[in-house]
Amino acid sequence: MSLLRLENVTKKFGGLVAVDKVSLEIKEGELIGIVGPNGSGKTTLFNVISGVFPPEEGTVIFDGQDITTLPPYKRAPLGLGRTFQISRPFSSASVRENVAIGAMFGRLAHKVSVNNSLEIADRYIDMLGLETHRDKAAGTLTPVEKKLMEIARALAMRPKLLLMDEAMAGMNPKDIDDMVKFIKKIREEEKIAIVSMVEHIMRAVAGLAERVMVMHQGAKLIDAKTEEALTDPRVIEVYLGHPPDQAKWRSEIWKKERDNNG
Amino acid sequence: MKKNIAKYYPLVPVLAAYLVMFLMGKNMSGMWQLMAMLAFYCALGQAFNIFLGMTGYVDFGYVAFLGVGTYGMALGITRFASFEGLGIGIIIIGFALALVMATLLSLAVGAVALRLRGAYFAIATIGVNEGFRYLIEGARIWNGSEGIIFMAEMNQAFGRELASALSTFWADVMVFIIAALAALVTIYYMRSKIGYALTALREDEDAAKVMGINVTKYKIIAFITSASFAGLIGATSWAIKTPYVFPPEVFEIHYTVEAIIIVLLGGAGTLLGPVVGGLIYGLSKYWLAVILPGFQLLIFAPLIIIIIIAFPEGVIGLLKARVKGRRLGTFIE
Repeated sequence: MSLLRLENVTKKFGGLVAVDKVSLEIKEGELIGIVGPNGSGKTTLFNVISGVFPPEEGTVIFDGQDITTLPPYKRAPLGLGRTFQISRPFSSASVRENVAIGAMFGRLAHKVSVNNSLEIADRYIDMLGLETHRDKAAGTLTPVEKKLMEIARALAMRPKLLLMDEAMAGMNPKDIDDMVKFIKKIREEEKIAIVSMVEHIMRAVAGLAERVMVMHQGAKLIDAKTEEALTDPRVIEVYLGHPPDQAKWRSEIWKKERDNNG
Repeated sequence: MKKNIAKYYPLVPVLAAYLVMFLMGKNMSGMWQLMAMLAFYCALGQAFNIFLGMTGYVDFGYVAFLGVGTYGMALGITRFASFEGLGIGIIIIGFALALVMATLLSLAVGAVALRLRGAYFAIATIGVNEGFRYLIEGARIWNGSEGIIFMAEMNQAFGRELASALSTFWADVMVFIIAALAALVTIYYMRSKIGYALTALREDEDAAKVMGINVTKYKIIAFITSASFAGLIGATSWAIKTPYVFPPEVFEIHYTVEAIIIVLLGGAGTLLGPVVGGLIYGLSKYWLAVILPGFQLLIFAPLIIIIIIAFPEGVIGLLKARVKGRRLGTFIE
């Protein structure tokens, strides 16, 4: 059974079609990458899924329930967690309190007390290696630490589906590899589906996702197995601008032009 | 269990401060009026802090809740004074009316204005107190602009002696109790999911929503709680203590501004902040009025700007950061 199903979702901002008739199906426990250049509508798609704004057209079905117009605070308890492209910590609260807030209002909100939540927070803080920052104000962390804290906070919500928006931006290759390993491990242990969205760090997608959806100008360009998707000529064109031979042809003209001008 | 009690240690300095103020006022001659004034400012700060401090929303119409609370007590006393045998029960009726009226007004204002964000909320609330004042005056509700003078009803209901004791002593005692109750509710909120939700929405409302927090619900909880305490303060300080009520006096925006200053000065969102802010504000206002009568506002305005630039977190916010992790830290919140 599919966990999340998008059917012809369209989101417009004035005349700009940010997300154009996108359909997508995610099964339980699946690891999916969403790739696309800057401005291709990835974050808007995430915002539609997490309920920041409703789509103009199409439906969003999560766990068998139509959530198209459900406000975001009602989606989180169903098991939808996310991190943000630009980290959004609750700055004055400590790391521990931030992560505890995730547990407190997430999927198990009605079952956990404040004290339980703080214990759950400790577990995820250890898991992400943030022990030394536990009592620091979240606003004082470095950007990468904030990203890790957001992942801990989202995991503490005990989601069924975790949306990660550029979780690995700004990390060095070694950290990315560690993160990829961690995400795979967490998927196994917690049995959650993960959608990881990436603009250009292909290292992160190639090692992580089983399936990749590539977006271009708001629309779905391709949705296929990772290797197939990333080597597709259309995808290469989206990133590099032109088919290889044409690009070469243009560069030769340009070279001539330069030589002529001396 | 011991750990659960330790969570409430920050109440100790707050309650101790109120106790010291009370004892000083009661036992030192000539100090009672000063201590009563300080208690009023502390209570005002403590009540307003539940909304302003915990949500980060500025309500410029806050004084309206004190105003309707004053009217609640005034109506309670004037309407029920002729009933024989109610005795002190009239005060309870007055408090109940004050609470109901402040709650209803906060629901009405909150349902509309709390849909707005940040500065828009502040602007939307600016007119609330003035609007309510003109409604009472224009529609001639509750005697309109003539106000209500209920000294005679107080004497009739309680007897001259008790009425006088109520005005000069018990009203102030009740302000101390209200301030302490507001502190209790504040720490209860801080330690429950309500407090965590409010912190989250104060820092980042959109992120809070995505984390599963129904931000409107928690804002309204904080707003109503804060408004109810304002109603109670109005019912004591402005009704029992001074048995008359005139619309221009109880809907004066000046008091909202004082409340904002107290909360920011002491440290918004802290438990001890309103006490410290109330003491600093009340004492400096008192001394400036003695030393340079008439000039206190002129001196106070730049002073406040300096303090707020120097300690944006307020006195307690600054102190809290200093004592964090130390033993003293468990008592400062």
